[in-house]
Amino acid sequence: MSDTKAEAPLLLLSSSPHIASPVGGRVIMAWVLAAIAPAAIFGVALFGIPALLNIVVSIAAAEFAEFAFRKITKQELRNGDLSAAVTGLLLALIIPPGLPLWMTALGSIFAIVVAKEFFGGLGANVFNPALIGRAFLLMSFPAAATTWQNPSFFGAVDAVGAATPLRIIKSGGSLSVLGDSYGAIVKTLFLGTHAGSIGESSIVLILLGFAVLLLKKIIDWRAPVVMTATVFAFSFLLGRDPLAAILSGGVVFGAVFMATDYVSAPVTATGKLIFGFGAGLITVLIRQWGNYPEGVSYGILIMNAATPFLNRLIQKKYGWVQPRKPAAADAAKAGAK
Amino acid sequence: MAVSTFKRGLRLNTRKHATEGFPVELAPLPKQVVIPINQHFGAPNKSLVNVGDKVKRGQRIAEGAAPGPMTVPVHASISGIVKKIENRLQSNNTEGPCIIIEAEEGVSDETDFMPPLDPFACTKEEALQRIRDAGITGMGGAGFPTHVKLSPPPNKPIDVIIADGAECEPYLTTDEALMTEKPDLLIKGLAIVMKLTGVGKAIIGMEDNKAKLIPMLEQELRLGGYGGDISLGLCRTLYPQGSEKLLIKALMGREVPSGGLPMDAGCIVSNVGSLVAIAEAFTLGKPLIDRDLTVSGGACKLPKNIRAPIGTILTDLPPQFMDIDYSKLRKVLFGGPMMGTAVPTLNIPIQKNTSGIILMTEEETWLDAEGPCLRCGRCIRNCSCKLSPVIMNNAIEAGDLDEAVKVGLMDCFECGACTYVCPARIKLTQRFRVGKQRLRLKVQAAQAAQTKAQTAAAPAAPASNAKS
Repeated sequence: MSDTKAEAPLLLLSSSPHIASPVGGRVIMAWVLAAIAPAAIFGVALFGIPALLNIVVSIAAAEFAEFAFRKITKQELRNGDLSAAVTGLLLALIIPPGLPLWMTALGSIFAIVVAKEFFGGLGANVFNPALIGRAFLLMSFPAAATTWQNPSFFGAVDAVGAATPLRIIKSGGSLSVLGDSYGAIVKTLFLGTHAGSIGESSIVLILLGFAVLLLKKIIDWRAPVVMTATVFAFSFLLGRDPLAAILSGGVVFGAVFMATDYVSAPVTATGKLIFGFGAGLITVLIRQWGNYPEGVSYGILIMNAATPFLNRLIQKKYGWVQPRKPAAADAAKAGAK
Repeated sequence: MAVSTFKRGLRLNTRKHATEGFPVELAPLPKQVVIPINQHFGAPNKSLVNVGDKVKRGQRIAEGAAPGPMTVPVHASISGIVKKIENRLQSNNTEGPCIIIEAEEGVSDETDFMPPLDPFACTKEEALQRIRDAGITGMGGAGFPTHVKLSPPPNKPIDVIIADGAECEPYLTTDEALMTEKPDLLIKGLAIVMKLTGVGKAIIGMEDNKAKLIPMLEQELRLGGYGGDISLGLCRTLYPQGSEKLLIKALMGREVPSGGLPMDAGCIVSNVGSLVAIAEAFTLGKPLIDRDLTVSGGACKLPKNIRAPIGTILTDLPPQFMDIDYSKLRKVLFGGPMMGTAVPTLNIPIQKNTSGIILMTEEETWLDAEGPCLRCGRCIRNCSCKLSPVIMNNAIEAGDLDEAVKVGLMDCFECGACTYVCPARIKLTQRFRVGKQRLRLKVQAAQAAQTKAQTAAAPAAPASNAKS
């Protein structure tokens, strides 16, 4: 026999592979938070303390709701995975900066409990929780959820309601309040220094987050790019200003942070393309003929429902061979007999 | 030189630095060897020796129990006396019959090799017989008999032989050491295979982290003078480049059809170690009784490439040659960390297909618990076979094996890339193994039921019912 000391160590047994990528779920969520951060910080700078409070309350309510729900239903606690924080932050960024804090908290709790935990928690929800939270707020408190304010850098908040670019377009007005020339309007839209949600107005900072997520290979380019392109193309076909269409409202924010949501968007490449196209198309249709000035939320939520079907559009595997036709014909013949 | 590659795959931390560029050290002769009598993929062998017999190094000690092509003999790797024939744990974690030979004083230098054979003068049948008699199997992994691989049916024309020197698994550096030290034998082995199969073209494929070997190999090719067109093919260092399917894709741009073998794509792929073994079987008459392997990992104080007789148990080697830090040792792998097997004890012999033994510390491996699937799609993005692991897994969980097969369950060769990248740490590869096994059981049960129904209904019903 060999040396008995060989038997001394307690050896681990498991199925291969025996090494794993250092990028776990938490790391991914942390990168998502980091990618959203610039837009969030800009939102605070633009709209002041109420925006900051809304962000803090939304994240805290989301984490607490997850903790409480899982504790009450005697499930394993998962607060460490940061996914509720992502939902809370996303929700805060797509609501008006002046929304009363208790409404924000309610929306956040609704998002986590109804849209996520009722389905089974992380990874099991069908719809994007943050968007469900926003839809809930829009239905329950229509006035408050559509009261916007003008930006004022670190200054006192202007409590007087202001019109967002989309509201102006919807009511047939001209965007010239944003700037004198077309170039100035586009610049204002691009930088985001206009009335709107806390975090979805500054296109340049959202694109910065997009670049981070792409570089870290956390998201795929397909859904965001196709969604934005679709909004651009269909706005053009409907005779709207296509550039203003993608720069105003939540198109870019939704495309980058919502249409790429792991859980509620398709996992397959083809599915992502169709998802982006569908979400973009529905957005334009709602903006054109719907009641709301903005359609991104519903565009993405409706496509979320299609995700299970889109996941069936799998790629052709390595060594894929065309099913043999004669055999199929034979089978059909045999069946006919 | 152009670097070819395939799409997707992983850029792993190769962890090869511990033994990269090290020469192959000859292990001191062990006092005993434990030789499993079945080391190939195919019909089982039976022992040719009895307890108490005296055997010489190179002597045939086990042979196919029934005549058939899918067996290869096993040889004594040291001279000595057969002490026991009993079931022992092997590196695939199953018990199997092993012949235990103890070295004897004074006879240890006696050998019983075959006479050398000129591969370029003998007939094809003689050459295939020699490769079988030498007990050569694929040294990369599955242990497929090499002589079977080298005699494809006439309806599968082969136009290229690929020497697989990719060595994409982390830690392992044996193939590189082999190509550095025995390029002449590697090229000779290739020339023999080309002559034997009548194929005019061959490529030595390797990852570009071994690019430094190119000038030396090119010079060897010029000196060799075996005729035929042997070239070097450099592939990107990308896991799992060493898989024959992906090596064919990278070097030839061809895909092996689903459910097929490399010969269906006109290729024969052979590990460089097997090719060197072939060359030695002809020039020296030496059967496959020694194995080059890497011993590495954090719990190995002296990581190195070694050559040891098959049947050697690592702990039988003297500590000045093989020093193991037992306090840190938490996992022992036979093979690399991506596809290798974790074994419960070090008391397991080196086999023909053991490319390395990795002694891992707790920090080197991972112990995270599974979380819920985030549906991030990383497993899909990184599957080099373009399968959809998350969808396969969902289908298996739902008990829908037909759906799992449709999305590629049987095309998965268990490279582990999906499991490596999964942020939720879901053991996808393991689930697919279980899924395949469940499918096998289901097919067996269906066949058994059909046979039973047929025998029961045979006198009454006509054969047309059998189709349903």
